[in-house]
Amino acid sequence: MKLKKLFIVMMLLVLILAACSNNNSSSDAAEEEDLDNLTDSGLPIVEEPIELDIFAGKAPATADDWNDVLIWNEYEEMTNINVNWDMVPHEGLSEKRNLALASGDLPDAFHSALIPVPDIFKYGQQGTFIPLNDLIEEHAPNFKRILEEYPEVEKAITFPDGNIYSFPLIYDPEFSALRISEGPWVREDWLEALNMDVPETTDEFYEYLKAVKEGNPSGDEGMEEIPFGAQSINGLVTYLKGSFGIGNKGMDHRFIDLDSDGELVRFYPASDNYKEMLEYIHKLYDEGLIEENIFSISPEQFYANAGEGVYGSTYNHSPAELFPGEHRDSYTGGLTLEGPHGDKAFTGISFPSSTTGFVITSQNENPAATARWMDYFYSDEGAELFFMGIEGETFEKTEDGEYEYVEEIRDNPDGLTLDQAVAQYLTWPGGQYPGILMEDYFKGAEGTESSKEAAEKLEPDFIEEVWPSFTYTEEENNTMTSVGADIEKYVTEMTDQFISGQTPLSEWDTYVETLENMGLEQYMEIQQDAYERYLSN
Amino acid sequence: MAKNPARAISMNSRLDKFKKNVLLNWRLYVFLLPAILYFTIFHYIPMYGVQIAFKDFYATEGITGSPWAGFEHFSRFFDSYYFWRLIKNTIILSLYQLILFPLPIIFALMLNELKNGPFKKWSQTLTYAPHFMSVVVIVGMLVAFLDPITGIINHVITSLGGSSISFLTSPEWFRHIFVWSGQWQTLGWGTIIYLAALSGVNPELHEAAKMDGASRIQRILHINIPAILPTIVVLFILNIGSFMAIGFEKVLLMQNNLNAETSDIIQTFVYQTGLLEGQYSFAAAIGLFDSVINLTLLVIVNQIARKTSENSLW
Repeated sequence: MKLKKLFIVMMLLVLILAACSNNNSSSDAAEEEDLDNLTDSGLPIVEEPIELDIFAGKAPATADDWNDVLIWNEYEEMTNINVNWDMVPHEGLSEKRNLALASGDLPDAFHSALIPVPDIFKYGQQGTFIPLNDLIEEHAPNFKRILEEYPEVEKAITFPDGNIYSFPLIYDPEFSALRISEGPWVREDWLEALNMDVPETTDEFYEYLKAVKEGNPSGDEGMEEIPFGAQSINGLVTYLKGSFGIGNKGMDHRFIDLDSDGELVRFYPASDNYKEMLEYIHKLYDEGLIEENIFSISPEQFYANAGEGVYGSTYNHSPAELFPGEHRDSYTGGLTLEGPHGDKAFTGISFPSSTTGFVITSQNENPAATARWMDYFYSDEGAELFFMGIEGETFEKTEDGEYEYVEEIRDNPDGLTLDQAVAQYLTWPGGQYPGILMEDYFKGAEGTESSKEAAEKLEPDFIEEVWPSFTYTEEENNTMTSVGADIEKYVTEMTDQFISGQTPLSEWDTYVETLENMGLEQYMEIQQDAYERYLSN
Repeated sequence: MAKNPARAISMNSRLDKFKKNVLLNWRLYVFLLPAILYFTIFHYIPMYGVQIAFKDFYATEGITGSPWAGFEHFSRFFDSYYFWRLIKNTIILSLYQLILFPLPIIFALMLNELKNGPFKKWSQTLTYAPHFMSVVVIVGMLVAFLDPITGIINHVITSLGGSSISFLTSPEWFRHIFVWSGQWQTLGWGTIIYLAALSGVNPELHEAAKMDGASRIQRILHINIPAILPTIVVLFILNIGSFMAIGFEKVLLMQNNLNAETSDIIQTFVYQTGLLEGQYSFAAAIGLFDSVINLTLLVIVNQIARKTSENSLW
């Protein structure tokens, strides 16, 4: 009896082992197939055509279905790889992406899917996303060259376990208009009417806003000028941080920067500088110098107001490109403001790469080919294809070697804007794609003359060092998503409340105390560790 | 020892009775089958997924393969800084809605007193109409009407000499706006069941009361209300059962940093931490906590109703 049972158990074990080894050999075979099918280098990438299912985030500005867009059809012919794009609009992107990841029914890769950095690491650790280090070494020569050229990018995209899980978007670090993305703008004709110069200090900025409100610079008695208006208050906060000596490590860190002694990470929303800045902004809001419903305004309403030309200043992408109406060309780029204590820096710049972009999942049977497919966009020709398209069809070279879209795109007969016209052929409008973005090939809103001019004005005051988003270990991440999320939510809420006056600034001490009770110390320990790990990466 | 065989016999005979009953009325049981299947497949079987509230959910491991975490997610929620605020906001908002429970009843009684004619038809159609509007449209209307500068409400206030109020960013206004706009939307629709119950009232009762000299109010109080009381009680119990479930899309659409003080409720918190940040276990734990409260309330209220009146769900 016992023997019989033992025998059955043994048989079962053998079966299981056999099943396992079977599995292994089949995945080995798949890997070999993947490698066998690859060409030696360049294009096409594979001998026998293969198919990839890619999940892609669809920004409002980009084409509805990338399966029908010129660039991907062209690239399919060049590579022998046919991509089936699964487009998910931005409104439901987080849910759809998380559900796809949770259900285990994975695409071969995620493209432009705005995956938050902690998630990349989480799913990398769980094995859903595969580590790319070896693939980059062997199959991504262009990307490898860039990492060698910009070691800080490699630092930024390497996770605490030493792995790279995503192909990032890299910005040309010299391309300042793109690194600021949004910036301050003031009405040039109103400055003239008021006999003022572009404000250079926080006091002058206040004077200008005040004059706009009281001086009726538009000359239109019926118009109620709004001195400052934007889609949210965050832009103004970003603009003013540098004038109060905070936020000195850039936009990727909305809550921490480096202390003045240069060693410790500082939680600046609890600093006196932050309080002083809030006092200043509250004064503006209180005196009606800021759009009253800035805390609940919808983008449509903002652009409708902008079209009527009521805003005396704003913080946005170039109004000349985005505002409707006749007044859009009346804006000129603002200057970095000098604060009450002589602080002057422009902090609204991002690290020249964003880690999220393109990840390969564990269900991908052709990881090497997929890596090669992505790698092409880190080369000059790839960037040209991605941003300009095909010579003769979508762009032409001018006599002095500059790139220019064909006339049908530049000056569309159907009245489409540049972005809209481009979106019929290419997929970069909307942003958040993986690849490398170089000034020569980029003609988006940030690449226009008005944006470049405005960026040049701010460039001398750029902060010196910009931190990338830090990466956290799994344990740290657990704290960051619980204690950290609560703290960040609290700061975000309270910032708005202090500015609007809903909570008076006399309650500042209670605010700081609450932050400490919420576990600020623990939060800062993690940030400090993450910072030191970043330094030593 | 002597009792057991007796019980076995009664059990047996009960089972026999049941079998006989089924054989006799098998057609009716066939009708019941789709409903049973529906609830089993879509409501009971998915319940095995509730276990992710007690696990650290890893997508690659699946629901059953993920490691157990015990009550970690629950204690994290209870320890969260926002716990009491979420509970408070959710309960106050629910209570506020519950207090207005009699409104559709009153409205139905009023409609019932109207003579059948164009005026009654019109008022019914007019009050039903908002029910068919999407929440997004309703919130869009609220934003447009309540805008501090361009909104019609504030125009009226300022033209009467008041100063404009930013309704949408004031925590003290959020609950009123949410609840009363909800009432506006559902009032008419909510009367349908009561009107149906009222149409079943025997007209002879009214005639007899009239003969005895009862006034209209008296007839409503002593005939109509007692007649629809069972309906009221059942609907009230059902309402309690979804006590903690507030229309979350609307709250989310109306929420901003300035009114979060009162507009942050459990459901929006679950949405933000669960779906948007992909913390399924945590969100499932909060959701489960929510359901347990709902179920407990339902049982308690049903128990009370059964003790105090003859009407209850079971």
